[in-house]
Amino acid sequence: MQKQIDPRVMAELREILDPAGVVSRPGELNVYECDGWTIEKSVPQLLLRPRSTAEVSALLRVLHRHNLPFVPRGAGTGLSGGCLPLAPVMICTSRMNRILAIDARNRRIEVESGVVNLNVSAAVKGAGLFYAPDPSSQAACTIGGNIAENSGGPHTLKYGVTTNHVLGVEIVLPDGEVVELGGSIEEPCGYDLVGAVVGAEGTMGIVTRATLRLLREPETHRTLLAIFDQVEAATRAVSAIVASGIIPGAIEMIDHLIIRAVVDAFHVELPLAAGAVLIIELDGLGAGIDEQAGRVTEMVRASGASEVRLARDEAERALLWKARKRAFGAVGRLAPNYATHDGVVPRTRLPEILQRITRISQSHQLSIGNVFHAGDGNIHPIVLYDERDPDQVRRAIAAGHDILKACVELGGSLSGEHGIGVEKINQMPLVFTPEDLAAMVELRHVFDPDERSNPGKVIPQPGACVEVAAPRRQAAL
Amino acid sequence: MGSAPRANQAGGSASPGAIRDVVDYELLFDCVHCGLCLEACPTYTLNRAEMDSPRGRIYLMKALAQGALELDADVVRHLDLCLECRGCETACPSGVRYGQLIEKARVYVERNWRRSLRERIRNRLIGEIFPYPRRLDWLLMPMRLVDALGLRGTLERLAPAALRNWIELLPAARADAPRFPRAAAVHEDDGPGKAVAVHEGCVAQILTPSENANSARALEAAGYRVVRLERTVCCGALDIHNGNRKRALAFARQNVRELSRCGAEAIVSAASGCSAVIASYGELLREDPVWATAAREVSSRVTDLSSLMIAGRTPFTREFVAKVTYHDSCHLAHGLGIREAPRALLRSLPGVTLVELAEADLCCGSAGSYNLTEPEMARALAARKADNVVATGVDYVILSNPGCELQIAAELRRRGSKIRVMHLADFLALAAGGGEARGAR
Repeated sequence: MQKQIDPRVMAELREILDPAGVVSRPGELNVYECDGWTIEKSVPQLLLRPRSTAEVSALLRVLHRHNLPFVPRGAGTGLSGGCLPLAPVMICTSRMNRILAIDARNRRIEVESGVVNLNVSAAVKGAGLFYAPDPSSQAACTIGGNIAENSGGPHTLKYGVTTNHVLGVEIVLPDGEVVELGGSIEEPCGYDLVGAVVGAEGTMGIVTRATLRLLREPETHRTLLAIFDQVEAATRAVSAIVASGIIPGAIEMIDHLIIRAVVDAFHVELPLAAGAVLIIELDGLGAGIDEQAGRVTEMVRASGASEVRLARDEAERALLWKARKRAFGAVGRLAPNYATHDGVVPRTRLPEILQRITRISQSHQLSIGNVFHAGDGNIHPIVLYDERDPDQVRRAIAAGHDILKACVELGGSLSGEHGIGVEKINQMPLVFTPEDLAAMVELRHVFDPDERSNPGKVIPQPGACVEVAAPRRQAAL
Repeated sequence: MGSAPRANQAGGSASPGAIRDVVDYELLFDCVHCGLCLEACPTYTLNRAEMDSPRGRIYLMKALAQGALELDADVVRHLDLCLECRGCETACPSGVRYGQLIEKARVYVERNWRRSLRERIRNRLIGEIFPYPRRLDWLLMPMRLVDALGLRGTLERLAPAALRNWIELLPAARADAPRFPRAAAVHEDDGPGKAVAVHEGCVAQILTPSENANSARALEAAGYRVVRLERTVCCGALDIHNGNRKRALAFARQNVRELSRCGAEAIVSAASGCSAVIASYGELLREDPVWATAAREVSSRVTDLSSLMIAGRTPFTREFVAKVTYHDSCHLAHGLGIREAPRALLRSLPGVTLVELAEADLCCGSAGSYNLTEPEMARALAARKADNVVATGVDYVILSNPGCELQIAAELRRRGSKIRVMHLADFLALAAGGGEARGAR
C-alpha cells in the first residue's frame, strides 16, 4: 500500500505551482491511471504539472525532504507502462513544451522535455532538417518520454534510436539538484552519462531539457510495397536485402490480421488475402536510387513476392506510412484492447519467431497480429483481448510472457524500443543474472540513491522475479 | 417546444449507470487509449491535461458508465469544455465515433445535472432565440441602431463583461457585402443543371445573409439549378451540442421532409456546421419509424459549395489579385472530410495566391454557441488562430462557416488587424466582380 501524502506536504507542493498545475480530485486523477499499456492500472494521489525546470526542482526538493516517491510522465503514450503510477505523486511534463533554440547550421535543437516529437521536425522543416527517431506515436509523444524509453521507430534501421540523437540533457535529480549532462558538442570526453540517462525510464530523475541532433532531410525517397502470400517469404526477403549491403531507411512488415485493420481504417489498397506485406523505403541522394530500387525489387521477387509496387508520388507514400504508423490504433477495430509487445530477435530468426507466435496464439486462444520493424528484427506482436473478461486479461499477460521467452531463446532480447516498464519487468531475469541487475541498481543509485524516481520499473524487486506478472489492479470491470 | 429535456425520456432516474442507456456503451471500447488524439484536440493543445483530451473524456464517460465515477462539477466541466470539433476523429486510427459519444454524454449531463441559475438562463436564451431567425432579428434591432449611430465602441466599453463578449462577436451591419453578379444566361444545350438546395440555417440568415445568397448565385453561375426551400428550420446543431436531443430530432424530421420534397440532388449550406449535422440525420433518425430512410437519403446528398464549384463550369474569368489563406472549418474538414476542394477552388481563381495557414484545421473556438458558453477557452483558441493568420501576411482569410467568421473577425478586430475575414461564398462573389467589401471589419 502506498503511503498517504500528508496534507501539509500537499500544501507545500501547491504553493509552488499555479492552480491548474495541481490535480488532486479523484475523478480527475482516475484519467491518469494508465498510459498506452492498459493492462495494469493504478491511480496517483496527486498530479503535479510544472511549467519550468525551476518548478520541477522545487517540487522534487519538497518530495525529497518528505521522502516521497514520484513517477514522471510525458504524454502517456508509452506501451510498457513506464509511467504507471506506482508512486503517490505523478509529475507530468506536458506543459513544458517550449522549443528553446534552433541552431540549423550546427544541426541541433534545444527543447523542453514536454515538446511533442513531431513538433521538433516541424520546427526545422523550413531549414531542410528533421529529427530522425519517429515512433508511431510521434504526433503525440514527448521528447522526454522518448528519452526515458529510448524510443525508436521505423527509420531506426538506418538512423538509430533516440540515444543516437541526444547530445545533452538537463536532468533534475530526485533531491532537486539540476544537472547538465553532455552538451551541444558531438563528441564529449569522459563517461557517457547521457547514455546512462537515455533509456533509464525515468528511474534517475526527471529530464527537463534536451539538446537533440538534427539530420538533413534525404534528397529523395523510393517507397516500395511488396506483397507476399506467405509471411516466411517476406522475412527471407528482409534478410536478403540487408545482406546485399543496401541499407534502406526502413523495412516494415505487416501481417494479414493487421492488413485487415489498416485497409478498413485508411482505405489503402492492400490485398486482404496476402500473408504479409513489406514496406521498404530507400532514401538518400537522387543519383543511383532508382538503380537501388530496381535491385531491391529483384531481390524481393526472388524471395517470393507476388507483386511489388512503387509509390508513385508523395501522396501514395504518405498513405502507406499513415497505414503503417497508425496500425496499432487501427487494431482498435479488431478488439477492445490490445497489448503490443516489443521483442527483438536476430533478423535471420524472424521466420522461427513468427512460427512460435502462431503457436502461442493458438495455445492461449487469443488473436495475435504482427506489424513490425523487420529490418532490425524488432517484432511487435499485438495480442488482442477484451479487458472486461478477466480470463482474457490473464491469458494476454501469459501470452506476452511466452513471446518474450521465445525471443530470448532465439538469441534476442526483451525490448527494441518500448522499454521495460512494468510490462516486461518480470522477464528481466531471462536476460540478466542477479549480478547484472545488481550492477544496474548500483548505477541507478548514483543518481537516485533512495529509489524514489519511478519506483517499480525496469529492475525487478529481488524475490519477485519468478512471479508471472501480477497486475496491481485489474482493468476496471 | 424548447422546454429543457429534464423531463425524463429514458424512464429512469439519475442512478449511476443510467448513462449506459444514453451513451452507446460499446462504442466507448473502440478507444484503445493510444493517445494519438491528444495533439489534435484544441483543449488539450492549450490545457495539456488528459481530462481535457478526447481519450480522457472517453475515460470519464467509461467511468460514469461503469459506476466508478459520479457525475460531479469536475466531470461536467471537462465534458462542457469539449468543442465537438471532431478533430480527434480525423486523428483517431481506431475509428472512434467521438462526436456521437460526446453528443449523447451531453444528453446525459443535461438530464442529470442541475446547472447554476446563470448557466440555465444563458442556455435558455441560446436555445429560445438562436434557432429562430425572427426572434434573433427582433433582438438585434437595438444593436442596429447602435451601429447606425456609430456607438458600437462605446457600448462595448460600457457593457458588463458577460455581455461584452456577445456584443463583440456581432458583425457590423453589412450593407457593403459583396454580391455575386447575376449568372449569364445558361446555354440551352447545357440542359437543366443538377438541382441544388441551399439550406439557410438559422443564425446565419440574420447575421450573415449574404453568404447563403452568394452561394446560390455562384452555383447558378456554375451551371446548377438552385431549388427553393420553403419550410426548413434550424438544423439542430445547437440542440445537439447542448444536449437537447428531443428538439434536435424534431428539427431534423422537419428538414428531412422539406429537403426530400424539394427534389435537390445535392444539399449545401453556407454554414458547414449545419451541413455536417444534415449529413448526420441518417444516423440521428436511424430508429425513426417514419423518417429513417428519407433521412439517410438526405444525408447522402450533402456536399459543399467548393466541391460543386469545382465540378461545375467556372464563372471566374476576370483577374482578382489577392493573397489569401484558408481556415478549415471543423465540421467541413473533420465532419465531412472536405479539405482539398476549397483550396483547389481558391487556387484556380485567376490572380489569387493561396498561402497555407499553420494549424489550419485547429478549431478557432467558435463551435456553435461555445464562444458564448465557454468564453475563456474560446478566446484563447481565437488568439492562437489569429496569431497563425497574422503570420501568413495575407489580405484575406477564407473559411466555410459563419461562426468561424464572426469568431476570427472579432479577434482580428480587437488587434486592429487589416486582414479581412470572409466566407468562401462572399469571396467568390468578390472575385467574380461582385463589388468591393470595404472595411466591414
